[in-house]
Amino acid sequence: MAISSPTQASPFLHCGSNSESDSLAILHLKRDLLIPTVLRSHDDLNEGYSEGKVSNTRFGSFPHSTLIGVPWGSQVRASAVDTGSRGRKGWEGKGKKRKRDEDRQAQDDVAVEEKLKPEIEPKAAVDAATGFVHLLPPTPEIWTASLPHRTQVVYTPDYSYILHRLRARPGTVLIEAGAGSGSFTHAAARAVYNGYPNVNTGDSSTGGSLAKRWGKVWSFEFHEQRAQKLQEEIKQHGLDGIVEVTHRDACKDGFTPNETPASDLEANAVFLDLPAPWLALKNLARASTSSPLSRTTAIHLCTFSPCIEQVQRTITALRVLGWTEIDMVEIAAHRIEVRRERVGLAEEGLRGVNDSPASVDEAVGRLREVEGRSRIFHNEGSEGEEQAAAPGPAQVSKQQRLESIRNALEGRKLFKEGRLIHKAEQELKTHTSYLVFAVLPREWSEEDEKLAQEKWPAKVEVRQEKNGPVGRRQKKKEAKAKAGGNKEFEMAATTI
Amino acid sequence: MKQELVQPYAYVALRLPSDATIVIQVLPNTTISIGKYGAFQANNIVGRPYHLTFEIRDTVTGDGRAQSGLRVVPAAELYADIKDEAPETPTEAEGGNPGAGGDGVEYEIVGQNGEVVMRTNRQILDDPNSQIMTMDEIEAFKAQSTGSGKELIAKILESHSALDQKTAFALAKYTLRKTKKYLRRFAVLPLDVPTLARWILTDKEPMKIMELREEILSLIGSWSNVHCTPSTTSLDGDGVEVKGGRWLVIDETAGLLVASMAEKMAILHPPDEDGLEAECKRSSNHEADTINGHDELEAPTTQDGAAPHLHDPRPRKASRLGTANTITLIHANAQPNLSLLKYFHFDAFNPPKSHPLESHLRTLSWLQLLSPDDDLGYTEPEIASEETIQSWKSGKRSNYYRKRRRWGRIKTIVDETRAGGFDGLIVASVMSPVSILRNTVSLLRGAAQVVIYSPTVESLVELSDYYSTGRRTAFLTNPPDSNLMPTDDFPLDPTLLLAPTIQTARCRSWQVLPGRTHPFMTGRGGSEGYVFTATRVLPAEGKVEARGKFKRRKVDGDMARSSSQQGNPASGGSGTIEVDTT
Ligand SMILES: C[S@@+](CC[C@H](N)C(=O)[O-])C[C@H]1O[C@@H](n2cnc3c(N)ncnc32)[C@H](O)[C@@H]1O
Repeated sequence: MAISSPTQASPFLHCGSNSESDSLAILHLKRDLLIPTVLRSHDDLNEGYSEGKVSNTRFGSFPHSTLIGVPWGSQVRASAVDTGSRGRKGWEGKGKKRKRDEDRQAQDDVAVEEKLKPEIEPKAAVDAATGFVHLLPPTPEIWTASLPHRTQVVYTPDYSYILHRLRARPGTVLIEAGAGSGSFTHAAARAVYNGYPNVNTGDSSTGGSLAKRWGKVWSFEFHEQRAQKLQEEIKQHGLDGIVEVTHRDACKDGFTPNETPASDLEANAVFLDLPAPWLALKNLARASTSSPLSRTTAIHLCTFSPCIEQVQRTITALRVLGWTEIDMVEIAAHRIEVRRERVGLAEEGLRGVNDSPASVDEAVGRLREVEGRSRIFHNEGSEGEEQAAAPGPAQVSKQQRLESIRNALEGRKLFKEGRLIHKAEQELKTHTSYLVFAVLPREWSEEDEKLAQEKWPAKVEVRQEKNGPVGRRQKKKEAKAKAGGNKEFEMAATTI
Repeated sequence: MKQELVQPYAYVALRLPSDATIVIQVLPNTTISIGKYGAFQANNIVGRPYHLTFEIRDTVTGDGRAQSGLRVVPAAELYADIKDEAPETPTEAEGGNPGAGGDGVEYEIVGQNGEVVMRTNRQILDDPNSQIMTMDEIEAFKAQSTGSGKELIAKILESHSALDQKTAFALAKYTLRKTKKYLRRFAVLPLDVPTLARWILTDKEPMKIMELREEILSLIGSWSNVHCTPSTTSLDGDGVEVKGGRWLVIDETAGLLVASMAEKMAILHPPDEDGLEAECKRSSNHEADTINGHDELEAPTTQDGAAPHLHDPRPRKASRLGTANTITLIHANAQPNLSLLKYFHFDAFNPPKSHPLESHLRTLSWLQLLSPDDDLGYTEPEIASEETIQSWKSGKRSNYYRKRRRWGRIKTIVDETRAGGFDGLIVASVMSPVSILRNTVSLLRGAAQVVIYSPTVESLVELSDYYSTGRRTAFLTNPPDSNLMPTDDFPLDPTLLLAPTIQTARCRSWQVLPGRTHPFMTGRGGSEGYVFTATRVLPAEGKVEARGKFKRRKVDGDMARSSSQQGNPASGGSGTIEVDTT
């Protein structure tokens, strides 16, 4: 896979005003139908369109020449591309392509990425009569909604809350395992990003102790293909240097990246999305010389497990290992559908409506009408007595009625008729996983405490005296300091 | 990066055994009182790490006097009451008798041979008098006690007449409850945005932040795509400054939203919090200087913070305003309300120069945005000739320069905001979102994110309806004269936002204790909180036909259908989508 040059900033982080070639872009067909594609000015896969690389979608074909260099957010028309004649001329990449397609989920909608032999000048694209897409720069949210699923992924409501609780901010160094499909990875990269380290990836070790701490995601995945695929995506997305993927079993072999000693990571946030987080926890112990955790900061941790039994084991392990502020939550999120609901006899025969009576009056009116009709029927059938009254509306046939309703449709402004309602989306995710949070305070030795006591002697200044135990205690503050010494670090008030 | 040790003058949160949080400023050499839990010396937490749990202990010295000190409570001790392998937990019970294991629920576990393994609470009378220590006795004991509260709890438990009748569950629960009440412990937490948000929502004044819950706040953060755009990093190696990262904000949560964005943009916490001490001293000295500096109240965004300008009657360079990684706040009143930023040592009326928000946050009023010529601050003060200036007394001169500078800053901010090109719009306001979008969508670049928070759903439902597929289709079919916009039918141009979506999220907390794991039984009610998201798009010139079985819809009255589908995936996408093509 082609690698974007290291000088190109990630389109996730600096998208510029216009789309550029060799960068990831999203074709927005409709909500929940988003196609990621790498824009290419010519080839990357050999398919043989005369327009150069073309993305084919259910809403038309889009030669990349029409997608490059346009302002992000533009509505782009489909082009008239001859999809029939190409490809038959002995296209060698077909088998490979099909395999790739099988990997994807929405097979129909995968942008077919094709190329032209470099010598041939791409033909200018011609607008098609219909069809368009919106061209968007990638964001972690869009990527999460459109990425090729290789595993279960963490969705936006969960990762948003997790990153918030993990205090993942510019400059945070975050460890993640397992990386899976990289959904969380991208959101984490955005959160911690505060610039590209000047040093090359691999020996960013120097970054840790320097004044500026570069935000970084150290990502671990023990499934080889997944690790490799994610690594390729990270490069493709310009996130090299911000995310580093390592193929490793985090439970068995710990958190040591390929070329960096674990002790250089100095991570201050950890996210574990793997089946047995309690097995990985032991590799996070600070005591070990190969601990990847920062010694001078508190560590925020989150584990993400679908089952309550996993949670219990994790929390037991956390307590034993001295983590504090342990807290477990789950996030339930849903989207809300807004629509206009039209009810009533006047809607009869239309689609997407409820054509039963809208009110008692309407119901009675209709009943009366039916009643009238059957009376006529009976009367005619039996004695042929002349009908008392009104042939009127009762005699309009159903067909006529439907027709007139349909005809009236043209003049109606349906978008503001009916009642405006909202309800939860049809398919609710009622459980994703349990989120366990914990904090490991910075280490604090007796030595540290002694220094702090020297620097900040607890002298007493009696302010706003209140009655009660507080005030009384304060008055007795001439007591002598008891020298530390106690394992539990007493911080006695010293007299000045 | 936030300092990892408690800095003098920092605001910190103290979490108490009751789970309540209080926020204090750590003024060195003072006593901090935490109500019934006692008091301690600020110097006993300054310079110490965050997230430690301290216990207040009064020790008696040789001469019989008490002194108050803090003890770090080791983690092991925090969990001393939790016995993970407690044999009486129901998970250990043989036969898996499915008792309804909630606390206080009748519960009986019978072993294999029929013997009762565990007591139920069936026999226990719910007698409030079973606690035979009276409140007065407890208070008296508390007054005598010098310890951390543990003895007191033990004493209370001892005196509970029915204690031996309690089931293990109930006992654990009872101990927990007593612990919360009498243990004299607290944890010191850094006051960052998550902690601040939680504190205000649960302990302080939820209405002040429009009941914005953390799970919603974090959703806003993600969907707005707010992130750091470091301006110093040259990405092309040529020292070319990266532009971008400009967000437009309407924040009526007293600055919580701004703080949350600023934290994600690395402009909330001063890079060097050692400077905090100096800064705090400066601002307390400053009070005297601002007496005749009332103009700063009129122009909170002016850079002139401190005294020097009064004695420095030279033209100074115009304010250094960052061009990337900025927040532009539009406010409805004459002044923005950003009072919560004080917890991050930022005072909008007197911005400290060392604070990153000083150059990255700019504020303007709706009047300044929409009709700047009606705003006095935007009107250029007269230019005086060099000689005239020289002839003035120094006070008048400095006043002149100050006015020019203030005007310069306002003009820069207003012009730049009106020029638009923002990367996103984030709103938490009680004003009608329709009116806000009508005046801001044009300021957004293509692909900018729009995120609007509302505590209740109704205003967002109305807004979504104005972007419904049906309405957009009608708009495109029969475009109204753009000079007549907004019209009754089209309060907003429905073609400018893509994929409008309303969503909500709710966090449910659990208690996880051995054998007693369940969701917490009470939580915060009130507003649910909703987020509207959409993407600004640039419609193609001329008529664009959607692809799909488009013709059919006209024939068989699919107009009805499209309208019924709005808000579904359909709205906001290509015009084709309301037709089912699958
Ligand atoms: C559910 S997926 C993670 C999804 C990911 N968080 C995302 O948002 O796309 C779990 C991943 O953990 C990996 N995994 C499981 N055990 C592991 C271990 N011991 N070390 C490293 N990775 C592991 C699996 O291969 C799998 O890809």
